Amino acid sequence: MDLFNPLVIFLIIAGLYMAWNIGANDLANAMGTSVGSGALSIKQVIIVAGFFEFAGAVFFGKKVTSTIAKGIVPIDSISLIDNHLVAVGMLAAILAAGFWITLATFYNLPVSTTHSIVGAVLGFGLIAAYNGIIGLSDIHWEVLLKIVSSWLISPVLGAILAYVIFSLIRYFILQKTDDPYKIENKFVSLQIATACYIAFAHGSNDVANAVGPLYASLNALDLVGLSIPVWIMVLGGLGMVFGLATWGYRVIETIGTKITELTPTRGFSAEFATASVVVLHSYISLPISTTHTLVGSVIGVGLAGGLAAVDLSVIGKIALSWIVTVPVAALTSALMFIGLMGVGI
Amino acid sequence: MKKEYIRSVLSIFASSPFKPLCMHANKGGDCVRKLSEAVHAFCEGDMEKVNLLNAEIDVIEHEADVIKQTIRGELSSSIMLPVHATDLLNFLKPQDSISDDAQEASYWLTLRRFDASPEIRAGFRELMARTLATVEHYEKLVDTLSELLESSFSKRDVEDTLALVMEVEEMEHQVDVIEKELMRTVFRSEDVLGGVGVFHLSRLVMNIGSIADKAEHAADRLRTMILRR
Repeated sequence: MDLFNPLVIFLIIAGLYMAWNIGANDLANAMGTSVGSGALSIKQVIIVAGFFEFAGAVFFGKKVTSTIAKGIVPIDSISLIDNHLVAVGMLAAILAAGFWITLATFYNLPVSTTHSIVGAVLGFGLIAAYNGIIGLSDIHWEVLLKIVSSWLISPVLGAILAYVIFSLIRYFILQKTDDPYKIENKFVSLQIATACYIAFAHGSNDVANAVGPLYASLNALDLVGLSIPVWIMVLGGLGMVFGLATWGYRVIETIGTKITELTPTRGFSAEFATASVVVLHSYISLPISTTHTLVGSVIGVGLAGGLAAVDLSVIGKIALSWIVTVPVAALTSALMFIGLMGVGI
Repeated sequence: MKKEYIRSVLSIFASSPFKPLCMHANKGGDCVRKLSEAVHAFCEGDMEKVNLLNAEIDVIEHEADVIKQTIRGELSSSIMLPVHATDLLNFLKPQDSISDDAQEASYWLTLRRFDASPEIRAGFRELMARTLATVEHYEKLVDTLSELLESSFSKRDVEDTLALVMEVEEMEHQVDVIEKELMRTVFRSEDVLGGVGVFHLSRLVMNIGSIADKAEHAADRLRTMILRR
């Protein structure tokens, strides 16, 4: 089988679609705070994000990618039996996650691409176990448990870190000045740095959602080796930057004009905390939601008394999206797999 | 809102009640400024102008009510503020009474022509001027909220704001003194004014004086809101 096989082309297109979605919405959310506080213009944000998202994906994205690809479902043991199954299963997973994300985005629900792809990959694992290809206990439940608990921990960690950072800024800088507006001006340049940092962090963690399943299938089909080739990461990075440039700028515009409360000191605290938490998770190979971590960080700044008004009802919506996304993505993925096998792909 | 292809965390940012709070305080100030014009017109016997200003005050008071309702409507239980929401609402209430009381006083002006001694006339002008000064000082106080939020309640800014609260309280005390003096003068002039005249003017004195009371009350609640954070 070569790279120009229809199945492979399908996989690449599906992966790019996923990457486009991530760039258009999740990356835009992460970057929108810099525009909201006036640190960067939309054009500048797209250039900064394009560069650093790409760098994060290409140089720091492999760990999470291999978790998505092989950490949850024992892809290698399945491909020993039938490598075609893996390719079809992973295609089903990307399609299912992409479908759920598209639906959720149309209804403006705060669903995470990370949760969707993890659920979808799990769905493939479950149908493989159901068909007796692997045992149910062969699924790496302990990894899944780690991933799911990191989803709970990461927003909390973001909140704590943002709380601490903003409290320090408040205690050492804001409370000692006569003119807080001057301080805000100084933080504008610092916030340009955190904008780069958050783009890098996002690229390093979220690229996996697009290219994890793609890599798993290409590896199973023996088209790529054991180490993830750079071109796959480049593909994911390009897809995300493309999403940002073709649609994300509109999301940023919408967010940026409405988040005027997030002044540079607040924006800096929230972004620095979010980026640090995300990079930490990329380092320990755990896929998390950047957007949900950002929500935690914003709440942290609010708890430290930095924001005029924070609406906590978002927490409920996010919690609900967690509970719904994983089972729905898993089920859709399993059904897609049966469907794809049924039509003889 | 039109459905867009967007997933965002935008809804975490609720609209700040503090900007509308300042706007609301300014509406109260606008009412009292108009009332001051009306009192001057009243003292000069220009009832046409008094009626005109009364209509304008009605409009501004209504605008203040709308802002108040918006603030209350947006403060659902899931909103987290840097101050207690109940304290904020407790402070909004007396602030809203500033425009209410100005409207009431303005209405009383329209009911009867002014016909009294130059002494009482001067008394009214002074009472009004002091009341207006108190309310305008109060507006300045509310204005400091934005700086307080900006510096996240720095010690220095809190002290500045608390100093303004004390000043408003002191100014209100001076209004009280003038109010009592003027009331006495009005009752002493019963022979000239007649019973209805005394009743009308005494109600006016009370109404104007209560505006400063409300500003002081609101300033006091604002202090509670800042200190109990």
